[in-house]
Amino acid sequence: MKNTVVKIDNLVKRYGELVALDHFSLEISEGEIFGLLGPNGSGKTTTINCLLSLLSFDKGNIEIFGKKMAPTSYDIKKDIGVIMQNVAVFDELTVYENIDYFCGLYISDKELRKQYVDEAVSFVGLEDFLKFRPKKLSGGLLRRLNIACGIAHKPKLIILDEPTVAVDPQSRNRILEGIEELNRNGATVIYTSHYMEEVEQICTRIAIMDKGRKIAEGTKDELKSMIRNTETVNIELIGLTDDIKAKIAELPHVYSTEYDGTKLTVCCSGGKHNLIRILGVLQENDLGFGRVYSELPTLNDVFLEITGKALRDDADSAKKAAPHEKANKKENFR
Amino acid sequence: MFLHNLKYELLCNLRAPALIAWLMIFPIFLGIVFRIGFGSIYENNDLFGAIPTAVVETEKDEIFGRVIDSVSGEGSPLLIVTYADNDKALDMLKNGEVKGIIYSGGKVTLTVAGKGIQETMLKAFVEQYGVYETIIRDALEHDPAKAPKVIEALSSDIKACTEIPMTQGNPDPYAQYFYNLIAMVAIFGSVTGLHITENNQANMSPLGAKKNCSPTPKSISLIASLTGSFIAQAVCMLICVTFIVFVLKVDFGGRLPLVYAAAVTGGIMGVTMGFFIGSIGRLSNEFKNGIAMTVSMVGCFLSGLMVGSMKAVIAEKLPWFNNVNPVAIISDCFYCLNLYSDYDRFNFKMISMLVYIVVFTALGIILSRRKKYASI
Repeated sequence: MKNTVVKIDNLVKRYGELVALDHFSLEISEGEIFGLLGPNGSGKTTTINCLLSLLSFDKGNIEIFGKKMAPTSYDIKKDIGVIMQNVAVFDELTVYENIDYFCGLYISDKELRKQYVDEAVSFVGLEDFLKFRPKKLSGGLLRRLNIACGIAHKPKLIILDEPTVAVDPQSRNRILEGIEELNRNGATVIYTSHYMEEVEQICTRIAIMDKGRKIAEGTKDELKSMIRNTETVNIELIGLTDDIKAKIAELPHVYSTEYDGTKLTVCCSGGKHNLIRILGVLQENDLGFGRVYSELPTLNDVFLEITGKALRDDADSAKKAAPHEKANKKENFR
Repeated sequence: MFLHNLKYELLCNLRAPALIAWLMIFPIFLGIVFRIGFGSIYENNDLFGAIPTAVVETEKDEIFGRVIDSVSGEGSPLLIVTYADNDKALDMLKNGEVKGIIYSGGKVTLTVAGKGIQETMLKAFVEQYGVYETIIRDALEHDPAKAPKVIEALSSDIKACTEIPMTQGNPDPYAQYFYNLIAMVAIFGSVTGLHITENNQANMSPLGAKKNCSPTPKSISLIASLTGSFIAQAVCMLICVTFIVFVLKVDFGGRLPLVYAAAVTGGIMGVTMGFFIGSIGRLSNEFKNGIAMTVSMVGCFLSGLMVGSMKAVIAEKLPWFNNVNPVAIISDCFYCLNLYSDYDRFNFKMISMLVYIVVFTALGIILSRRKKYASI
């Protein structure tokens, strides 16, 4: 059995009347890429800040590497790498100097540090930008620098708090591949995001958060198996009558049908050959159709079914509902 | 860890655009502006040198002749006198060879071509003579035996008005603008001090949060930041004083090492003031910056940077305030070094600065030492 790297037990954090973390518990094992998924304001960053002992909390207990985490737990901190949501680098320092500075907070030996910095530079592909100042870098390169600063000291636990926000798809893919490589090299990773595709792509286990609570936890397959939806069939067609729609709704495993005049959407729960049966009804009624495709459930479907709202749709409203986070997310100031 | 932090703190400070702009370029620019503005009236020789003057005697005036002899004789004469007829005197005035023409015989009158300090001094001399002439004539009428002594006494009185050497330093009133300029640079160190808190407090910036996640103790990080800022500020102060003294040729007296020491101490006080302001509560960085700039600029104003007479007004109306205004304390150090032969007042000002440094640093550390934050 693998060692438990992070154990959060019954964590409660309040901002006045607002409960940011509501009896939140979590266990993360060695070697995992653990995803914390939830809309903005769901409590992901608050969880990370409590985990790192930056934030005080009202109740609960946090252990990392089997030891209680405190602000002065320097022996624990030396094995943690943090990549913050906001880019945290010095504008006055070059790319190389920034990485060297942050690596130097963890590694005293100059020779070893130089080796680690060179490896970090190579890892994020910033070899051609070593003498650049951060302001000269594009958004994607800046994010890569931010990551290099966080992982240069080869931590055992890497915490990435929404590292791909405002990053172009190419850089995003590179970052995700890098995270998987870090994990292959032995690091345990905690990855927070409100992008379900990213979490689905790289995380071995996922916890879905909403309003400071953990609403589901497991592998992506386990999470998807928690919901009724197993397949969504989409058919582009014109002239669907209510009678035919009712016939489709009566088919086995079909629990929902929607028609907007050009597209029929049928949600199924379990069963096989759903698509063939639906197409059979259309054929019997001599109805022609265009493009046909079937979708497997996503984490958004999981979130939608559990909370009654979509992950992304909720992002803006959640942001408004969590003024403490909005107000406190500062841009780099120098 | 400490040296590593210090190295990068220094690099950041010396490359920071705000520091270069406010602590190097701006004071150099302002110093040049002051120098150009005060240039024509600045030189000691111009102010207190003997004034070339033509004397036209329309008729013989023994009393005036003796007074003229006494103010143009050996030592530190007020006037360099050339006796001439009216036409020649006018030519000399026109050519700039003399600053004015004094007509004696009957009522003593003056003709000048300009409105400078030396012309003003000539006018004061002639007016003063007009007053004393009455006394002398009265003495001649009532006690002729004592007349020579009266003339000598009054003549020396007139002479004393021209230059009273109270000090060996530069008594130029415009030098205080340069004292205040250096004090302003020192107090602008508060901008550097603000960054210390910003960069080390997890609730102030992402950088602060990231630093707090590292195994480097906050105390080491803070001390390195403070030391780095002190050194950077000291460099700025040394550059500023050197530029003013050696490039702009402003006379700060003969105790230059102490001038440098006062400037560096003032700069460190400015940094600690910023550190303290930065550590206060959960105000935004912009607001704290506003507080630091307001304190600095108001301090500069009340110290006489913008209006030269302001410091004297404060000294008269609120004398205690000049002992608590950090800018006034710094500029007073230069004033004392330049004009006073003893060190009592200078020492008092230096001790005041050291007290400020200790208090600001202690309060800053106390306010920064929280280990966890209620919100980030």
